[in-house]
Amino acid sequence: MLAMIKRNLLLYFRDRSGVFFSLLGALISFVLYLVFLKKNMLASWHQLPNAKLLLDTWLIAGTLAITGITTTLTNLALLVTDKEQHIAADLELTDAGPLRLFASYLCSAAFIGMLMQVAMFAIMWGGFYVTDGLTFSASTLLNVFVLMGTSSLLATAVNAAIIRGIHSVDSLDKLGTIVGTAAGFLVGTYIPIGMLPTFAQNLVKFIPGSYVAALYRQFLMADKLNPVFAGHVAARDQFERLMGVRLNWSTLLTQQETYHIMGLIFIGAVALAFGTEWFQVWRRHRRVVHER
Amino acid sequence: MLLETQHLTKTFGDHVAVNDVNLQIEKGSFTALLGPNGAGKSTTMNMLIGLSRPTAGRIIYDQQPKLGVVFQGSVLDNMLTVRENLQIRADQYRHVPADRVAVLREQLGLTSFMKQRYGTLSGGQKRRVDIARALLNEPDILFLDEPTTGLDIQTRLAIWTLIQRLQREHGLTVILTTHYLDEADSADNVIVIDHGRVLARGTATEIKDRYAADLLTLTSPDVPQLAAHVAREPLRVTDQQIAFSLPTMQDALDILTTNRALISNFEFRPGTMDDAFLALTGKGMR
Repeated sequence: MLAMIKRNLLLYFRDRSGVFFSLLGALISFVLYLVFLKKNMLASWHQLPNAKLLLDTWLIAGTLAITGITTTLTNLALLVTDKEQHIAADLELTDAGPLRLFASYLCSAAFIGMLMQVAMFAIMWGGFYVTDGLTFSASTLLNVFVLMGTSSLLATAVNAAIIRGIHSVDSLDKLGTIVGTAAGFLVGTYIPIGMLPTFAQNLVKFIPGSYVAALYRQFLMADKLNPVFAGHVAARDQFERLMGVRLNWSTLLTQQETYHIMGLIFIGAVALAFGTEWFQVWRRHRRVVHER
Repeated sequence: MLLETQHLTKTFGDHVAVNDVNLQIEKGSFTALLGPNGAGKSTTMNMLIGLSRPTAGRIIYDQQPKLGVVFQGSVLDNMLTVRENLQIRADQYRHVPADRVAVLREQLGLTSFMKQRYGTLSGGQKRRVDIARALLNEPDILFLDEPTTGLDIQTRLAIWTLIQRLQREHGLTVILTTHYLDEADSADNVIVIDHGRVLARGTATEIKDRYAADLLTLTSPDVPQLAAHVAREPLRVTDQQIAFSLPTMQDALDILTTNRALISNFEFRPGTMDDAFLALTGKGMR
């Protein structure tokens, strides 16, 4: 299994331009924001103190959530290309076993997802530190790092479950384009969730990445929100709902509830991904070869 | 018998790809599955190596076999070096000795391009690496699916010599598919397949004897008279030449000796694998 993970990582990093474009894909929301959106949004937030820093952290949060989704999906594409080029058939001849092979694809995807989130975080924080003097406390950073791990695991599991239904590189590319385009809207990075129509708001709640984005916002924005809304609970709730800092089920979700929901989605996705893989293996291996 | 199939059948919808194929493969033998494109060779092989399930019939191995497979296309990673490719695959087996990759490097002559990326190798080099990969787990049976397709004649010969050496020196059982007829010539066992059915089997010599007619071309100053003397229908007649398709060499000898005076020159060509193959599978393209 280690050999296989090593292979997948080597393949990812050997392809320099692939790494670059994978980062660029995630950077798009960041660039869009800097070029088109920042000025507009700042203008509507002018009454808030620290508006610039709040907006910066809000953007970092959304972008990290997108990064987790798109980079793990890109890496999981290997599952489909290997099958299409009959590399999977060759791998099945080894002693590794299909479930372990499948698990190693997931592990390498999760690892890449984590790594790319760290890279993106460093790039964005570096940028905003220079322009707006953005800083974070050590406890915030710790929370963010833990969440990066959770985020890439969750995204890997969900993407793996989706990718089970895809058998050609061609349709995978199309899925990649759709996910890349839609993710920014679905996790509320391009447009704040509170400004979406009701249907879209409900749709957002079905996207696992939204919960990741919400948690990122909670961790990253906490230091800046606390002084701004000290003592104004209602106003803070209103803001958090609008900006997707906390998602609204019947009430606004707490951190713990959000983690629970993510956990359930994770278990469901893993069960779905491994279940279908296991079923295929079982069907194929029902005594094909007889021994004397 | 190391490997046996009984009534092996595979259908895809209405299309019968492999139809009631019975094979017996002995340990240490060299078997060539010969057939035109789409004959069902690869499908048969995929079932033998367990990649696809037969619709009906059974595959029986003598013991749990260690399989080595050289696939028709490349299954190694273009972006990785030869050494990385082989080492990564080797690590995925449980009982491969640590020096296995080094042993195969020497055995197959890969030393000069071990550090090169697989994608930059020539066709023949790639094939040798593919074979090295298939030999990593010291297999009992080596399957090769069209190992020499698309290679130039020198490389084909080199690959072919290599496979025969492996069979001879290491007692490897080799099963390969090919549509190059001359390659089947040197196999112990030739199985001609078309439309999923076994049309003929035996050694190359047996198949040629049975299915390929010999060709006798005679040059004569008086062709019509020569034609009148031979009881057989000629294959073609020109002003100076007449050609006969004959079942055995004895027939040719008879014609030559009885008509000696009328013959100024002759050419005798024994039946080739091509003739046998065309006789068996017909001339139509598919």
